[in-house]
Amino acid sequence: MSRIDVNNVWKIYGGNVVGVRDLTFTCDDKEFLAILGPSGGGKSSTLRMLAGLEEISKGEVKFDDVVVNDKGPSERNIALAFESYALYYRMSVYENIAFPLRAKGLKGKEIDKMVRDIAEVLNLTTILQKKPGELAGGHQQRVSLARALIRRPNLTLLDEPLSHMDQRLRAGIRAQIRRIHEEFGNTTIYVTHDQAEAISLCDRILVLSNAEKQQIGTVDEIYNRPVNKFVANFIGQPGMNFLQGKVHSQKSASVDTDEGVKIIEIAGTVDPKYIGSEVTIGVRPQQITIVEDKEKGFNLMGSVKIVEFQGDTSILAVELNDIQKTEIKVVIPAGGFKFKRGDFCYMDVDPEFIHLFDSAEKAIIERNA
Amino acid sequence: MREGEKLKKQGVTFKRVIFWVITILVMIGILGPLLWIYLTAFKSSADIFAGSLNRQLIFTPTLENFKRLFVQFPFFKTLGNTLIMSLGSTVLVMIVALPAAYSFARWNTGGGHILFNTIASRMFPGVVASIPFFIVFRHIDLLDKHIGIILLYMYFNVSFATFLLYGFFRDVPVELEQAAMIDGYGRFNIFRKVVLPLVLPGIATTSVFCIIWSWNEFLFAFLFSRKVATTVTVLISSFWGSIDVQYGTMAAGAAISILPTLIAAWFMQRYIVRGLTFGAVKG
Repeated sequence: MSRIDVNNVWKIYGGNVVGVRDLTFTCDDKEFLAILGPSGGGKSSTLRMLAGLEEISKGEVKFDDVVVNDKGPSERNIALAFESYALYYRMSVYENIAFPLRAKGLKGKEIDKMVRDIAEVLNLTTILQKKPGELAGGHQQRVSLARALIRRPNLTLLDEPLSHMDQRLRAGIRAQIRRIHEEFGNTTIYVTHDQAEAISLCDRILVLSNAEKQQIGTVDEIYNRPVNKFVANFIGQPGMNFLQGKVHSQKSASVDTDEGVKIIEIAGTVDPKYIGSEVTIGVRPQQITIVEDKEKGFNLMGSVKIVEFQGDTSILAVELNDIQKTEIKVVIPAGGFKFKRGDFCYMDVDPEFIHLFDSAEKAIIERNA
Repeated sequence: MREGEKLKKQGVTFKRVIFWVITILVMIGILGPLLWIYLTAFKSSADIFAGSLNRQLIFTPTLENFKRLFVQFPFFKTLGNTLIMSLGSTVLVMIVALPAAYSFARWNTGGGHILFNTIASRMFPGVVASIPFFIVFRHIDLLDKHIGIILLYMYFNVSFATFLLYGFFRDVPVELEQAAMIDGYGRFNIFRKVVLPLVLPGIATTSVFCIIWSWNEFLFAFLFSRKVATTVTVLISSFWGSIDVQYGTMAAGAAISILPTLIAAWFMQRYIVRGLTFGAVKG
């Protein structure tokens, strides 16, 4: 219901500790945006500044083109579901959900209707009279969501809402959160450190680390066009493999191996100024193909160190034959090749999936969309 | 195997014996004086000073001590004074300590220094403060006044109450308040509707502590009152005269005046155990 603009926002704690550095992004109306990053990356500070619980040190936050920097949490009409649920455990579930409405001064009948409506959507009807303490984590989080959503907020903020739930529950609640988002036409910002959640739920992902924005984009962009080494490694399970090489030409890179220099083709072009300089070559474990035939234009080769069976896939740890003896991971379908420790294998990578990062860890391949 | 079981059994029995011996010793230490007070209160003077143990324990109960206490001495007046001073000072203490403790707990007001200084005021013997207080009170005419002693009790209890309540407020997760803030409540309403219900056991515990302390207080009541504002502890102490000690009257006075604190202590034990261990967020 609102478009959120964050312009050059800083959060500085105690005069010198930077929580968020010069952050700029936009969350469109009705968008579902994930803020993803490791702990201490600035996610919570950002969220709290959006909620109005934390003062904005520099820069401005706009809701629908109105600067809200000086507005308190209640004036922003936002909803926030806390990681800890923060339910009023002395009150019943019903009273918890009704609490924001009472603050607005609504009357009993209106409140009752709204509470029952939202309880219906979130499957809470049968537990309205219980106390939060009697409920399991999944229920508690739904109560917290119900309390957050009952006011039809401009912006729904979810702070790691699933982190205290077990794996099975998560998938179910995840789907519910997305459904509520669609049904209510909310603008939702979802903070998480779990990339699986971010990828499965959100329209776009903002990756924050070290108090700074690393990248914002769709899942496809983040996954396939990471702007730096951090994002490349952080997204994907397992993260991207890196090995040392040089820029060979505008369209290729080279790796020194035991068998001489190996040229690796890339899709897109590299600025000529990089030719000859050291780079990090990045390849996703999932985008490496194992080839039987050595002559089939393979890119890399190495020997298998560990085979990790995952059910539908296997993860191989492979020691490459480059001079650094880099160990990389390769994900292969479980039904394909059977490898065991010490086996030699040839690997092929589509030039499209080769990434190059300069010494400042920035991606340097320019590709046409 | 059997031998082992036997040893084990012996160990358990031994432990049980030790447990009961210690328990009984402690109970004698606690209940002995109480027993003495209540027995003495119902004895005639002759029985009180009787030499044989037999007569100490088996005697004809009499109410003469109580009669003398009620008729010859202003017992109910002093008991009333004690009540006024305990309750009055506790109310005042709460009015000051509640917001202070909340402020220390939530915003770390004063960076810990003010809180420390507050507690530090309890670290010296109270009697040290008596002379300056006495001089000040004489100048502003607060000697032998109820309000004077109430203010003194407030002075001594505020720091303690603030510190106790500080702990209770600390246990209230800040997220609850933030949630209420987002829900549209103002500071005062958040305090009233969200925080207060959660610290109610804490407030009860703290109040009872303050009341008991004021109820039992003797030194300041003795120093700062003469006729009007004497408390029951001062009255009871006056039975220890220069010529004789009126044990019977003294025991009768004590028997009545310790009842409220006994009841309060009994009431409080549930709250102390529960009140200090409640956790809010985790479900």
